[in-house]
Order: sequence, then C-alpha cells, then structure tokens
Amino acid sequence: MNHEKRVYNDIFEMLPNEENPSPMVRINRTGLSPEFRLFAKLEWLNPFGSVKDRAAWEMLRDLEERKELGNGRGIVEPTSGNTGISLAAMARTRGYHMRAVVPNKVPLEKKVLLKIAGADLDVISDELCPAPGLGDGSINLAKTHAKASRDRYAMPNQYENDKNVEAHFRTTGPEIWRQTDGQVTHLFVSLGTCGTVVGTSKFLRSKNPNVKVIAVQPTEGHDVPGLRNVTQLGVSKLFDSSLIDDILEVDFRLAYTRALELCQTEGLLAGPSSGLIYEGAREIIMRDKVGLGVMIFADNIFKYTSNMMKHIPGLAAGTQA
Amino acid sequence: MGNYSHPEVLVSTDWVQENLGKPGIKLVEIDVDTKAYDAGHIAGAVGFNWQTQLQDQVRRDIISKEAFEKLAGGAGISPSDTVVVYGDNNNWFAAYGFWLFKIYGHQDVRLMNGGRVKWLNEANKLLTTDKVSPQPVAYKAGPVNMELRAFVPQVLEASKSASFNLVDVRSPDEFTGKVIAPPGMTETAQRGGHIPGAKSIPWSTAVAPDGSFKPADELRAIYIDQKGVDPKKDTIAYCRIGERSSHTWFVLKYLLGLDKVKNYDGSWTEYGNLVAAPIEKA
Repeated sequence: MNHEKRVYNDIFEMLPNEENPSPMVRINRTGLSPEFRLFAKLEWLNPFGSVKDRAAWEMLRDLEERKELGNGRGIVEPTSGNTGISLAAMARTRGYHMRAVVPNKVPLEKKVLLKIAGADLDVISDELCPAPGLGDGSINLAKTHAKASRDRYAMPNQYENDKNVEAHFRTTGPEIWRQTDGQVTHLFVSLGTCGTVVGTSKFLRSKNPNVKVIAVQPTEGHDVPGLRNVTQLGVSKLFDSSLIDDILEVDFRLAYTRALELCQTEGLLAGPSSGLIYEGAREIIMRDKVGLGVMIFADNIFKYTSNMMKHIPGLAAGTQA
Repeated sequence: MGNYSHPEVLVSTDWVQENLGKPGIKLVEIDVDTKAYDAGHIAGAVGFNWQTQLQDQVRRDIISKEAFEKLAGGAGISPSDTVVVYGDNNNWFAAYGFWLFKIYGHQDVRLMNGGRVKWLNEANKLLTTDKVSPQPVAYKAGPVNMELRAFVPQVLEASKSASFNLVDVRSPDEFTGKVIAPPGMTETAQRGGHIPGAKSIPWSTAVAPDGSFKPADELRAIYIDQKGVDPKKDTIAYCRIGERSSHTWFVLKYLLGLDKVKNYDGSWTEYGNLVAAPIEKA
C-alpha cells in the first residue's frame, strides 16, 4: 500500500481514512459570501462509489470478526442502493453471497448495479400508505430473511448498527478535521440511516463543540433516493437530534436543479442528494455569512440519469436519432 | 385483552406461539406481496395471496362461495377449525381475509394482533421457510352473510341520509382529494375527494407504535368521542380498494362492538369512477 504513489495490493486498501481521505473540493461560484468558504467532500471517489463504503466496510469487518459469515452464510440488507452496492462488491470479493432488498422506487441504474456487483435482488413496493414508525417493507423483508434463514443470512442492518456510526467517527470526522486544519465551522449532511451525521458530528463536536451541524432533508413525498424526510426517520435507530443544530427542509425538486448546476458550473458530477445539501448550505451561508463549511456529497450523478430525466424538463429531448 | 367488546376474535402473538401445531387451529398468512410469506412465515401457516386468491380473477368481486370453499378446503381448513389470520401491511389484507371468512359463515376466525411485523420484531418468535402441505378437506361454507358488505346503492343512501356513519379510512391527502391514490398505486379513480358526509379517520388511528390495536377506551375516545361516530347508527367504512377499511371494519364491529358495520370493498376505486355521483373535496 502506497498512498503517495496510489499503488495498492487490493481494492480494500483504497478505503478512506485519515491517511487516505476522500478529496475535498472548494465551491467557487456560489456568489453568496466571500467570507464563507464552502467545500464538497467527494465520497464517490471511494473505491465502491459512495459514502456507504465506510459503513459497509465497518459492518462487514465486524461480522467477519464475530465469525458471522462464511460456510454458506452471506448477507441480507435493506438498501436504497449505495450500501447494497458497497456491501455486495465487498462481500463477493471476500467470498460471501449477498441479497439486497430494495424499494421499487430506487432508480433502475442502482438496481442493475446491485446485480452487477453480485447481489441477488428483492424489489418490493414500499408505498402502501405505511403507518409512521412501523418500519418499511424493505427493512421488514430483510429481517424476515435473516430470521427465517439464519444459516443463510446475517443482516448488518445499517439502520440500527452502531458500526455505521463508528465508521464515520473513525474516518469521516478525523478526515475533515485534518483537511480543514481544525478550522471547520459548519457540516452539511443529508439524512438517511443517520450514520454519517451522528458519527461525523460526534467527532467534530469532540474537537470543537461549536461546529454547527446542518441536516438537509427533502420535502415529504419526495423522490430523492437514499434520503428520508424527518417523518420517515422513525426507521433509523441511529438518529440523535442532539447532534444536529438545524434541520432544513428543502423542496425536493431543487435537489435535481442544484445537482445540474453543480455539474455545469463547478464541474462536480454530484448526485441529487448533493444538490439538496448544496441548496441547504446556500441558505446557511446567507444567514451566517462567515465560516468554513464542508458538505458530504454522498455519490455522483451517474446512478441517477433516469431520475434526472424525470425531474429536469428537457433533459431527455434530443437523445434519440 | 384491551377491554374489547369481542375479545375472542383477537389473539396475541404469544397465544399463537403457545398454540402452534395444536389440532383444530389453522394459521393463514394473507399478504398483498407474497414475497414476505416465501421469505419466512410462522411454522405451519399456509399463505394466501390477496390479489390472486381472494379476488375473483374475471369480474371485480370477492371470490365466489364455491371458490372460497375450494380455497379453504385446499388449505386443510374445516368449518369447525379455529382459523387465525395474520399478514403484511399491519394486517390490512388479513383483516380483509377475516371479513371474507365471516361473509362465508366461518364460525371461529381470529386475527393475530399486530400482524407479521409484530411477530417479526419479537426476539422469541421464529419464522421458517419450510413448505406447508396441508391435507385437503371438503369445506362447506356456512350461511352467507352479505350484511357485512356495502354496495353502491347503500353507500349513496348513507351519503344522503343522516342515519349512517360513513367512515373514510384513507390518508388525509386522499380524503381531501389532493391525491387520488398513494404514490405508485396502479388502482386509481377518475376523480379525487371523498363521499359527502364521510368522516376522515385514517386506519392508522387505531394502532399503537408496535402495530397492535390500541385499547378499547382509547379507540372509543377517538372514534366515538372525538370523531363523532354514533354507535346507534349503521356504519359503512371505505378506503381505496377495501383492505384498509377491513381493518377499521374490524375495529368498529369487534373491538368497539358497534352493531351494524359494513365494509364497502368497492371503495374509492369504484365510487371515484361513478358518473354523476356527488363528491366533496377538502
């Protein structure tokens, strides 16, 4: 392993940590406040393509250390895509099978990527007027596999697994602290399992209790894969509101228009959840004027071309002869 | 259990566990998506698919008496058996199955409180993928009880007269007409809104955070004191396709003990398509 020359013996050596952080790139064209420096942390440059590499690796290693895997026992996990892609690629490389349970509204690109990564796929409808707090269909189906077929499946369960939080406390937080020379004042994140916000916030607050943590969430009834509106957060046992200063609700359609803007003005091929965070960061910059903010950009736009076509009028035009 | 009017039709997950495999007790899991049953079910439970096995596959209707007899008999159920139903989506489809068993005169049918989600989340409850091969029996349905079912003429009458409770159990956005159906649903209607005179009491009002029913005093406070359901009147519950309203039908009839409660299974996908039928919005 040589981070300087970037030569590695296997793909796992590329996983991010303080010595090998995911890059941070400054956003230069917000046009809002020159006293507020804003950076995007590009998590799609992790080896399996998203921020979920961190939690997936921590959870997988934990299962391996507890000897929960092997001898025909693989993994089952509910996922909106990224955790599943990371887990499937890691699991298959290490010789375990993987079943991913995904909600139907997950973009086709992600479903196909899960299969390419080697996962068996269960696609289910999660949209049937669920009652708040009762868990959703994909989580329950994954739990069913884990309970009924214990000899076949271990379930990391990213919504309840402390290793999801630990991954960010151990890597994302220290990386940001070091990359900003301890100058970070604002952290901008989105909410899904809440592992990123809880782990990173805990670390940064341990270094500087004044770091502001801003969570950006889409409006209810949204169509931004991987994210949860606060009314849907009951499914995550990791959510801890004491670690968050502000929760901003942003019209979910702005996730798509801001993602397009990031591509075309900053050259950052960021996905819609990043667009949503960028919109939230803009609101806070206008409020606070001064600071050094870091946005966690979970993944890139490549997995969302079908969703982009759905939400950006005109994008599909002229794509056929 | 919970001071309900008819506690005998509700069993707990613990009761089911204690009675697993006992003769005369038949477990039936009823799901809209049978992936859940295939992935794991309670030992000995047969699985019914709500869409393909409880609905007539040609005309829009519940299955016929003959088809019900074939289904029940094929699942090894005798008329004298205690049938315990449970299922996905908080027992909506199981409640629909319960309603169907009652329409076709099955004496002893019970609902497992909390459905499969409650069982799933209890550490001491097991699931299996073992296939069930029941010994088919000849099932003869009892007297058919269509009093449990509402059709359009009764619904229109209920809407016009003040002598009925009409209970709309859909989400608030469906009630106001902001949406016609929850996102992604294929069964829909030409118009959004609700039946004039209906009270909006979403089905989930009746359940606790673990998916089981709230106790009777809480249910009574909600349905009767707060929402104004008059226990002396006949009641019709409806939703979009008749499954969520089966859940509320069960609450009103068996947990609160209202005398005459019907499930309007045609629900909004029928009413919202009727030409010239009155509709209220907001």
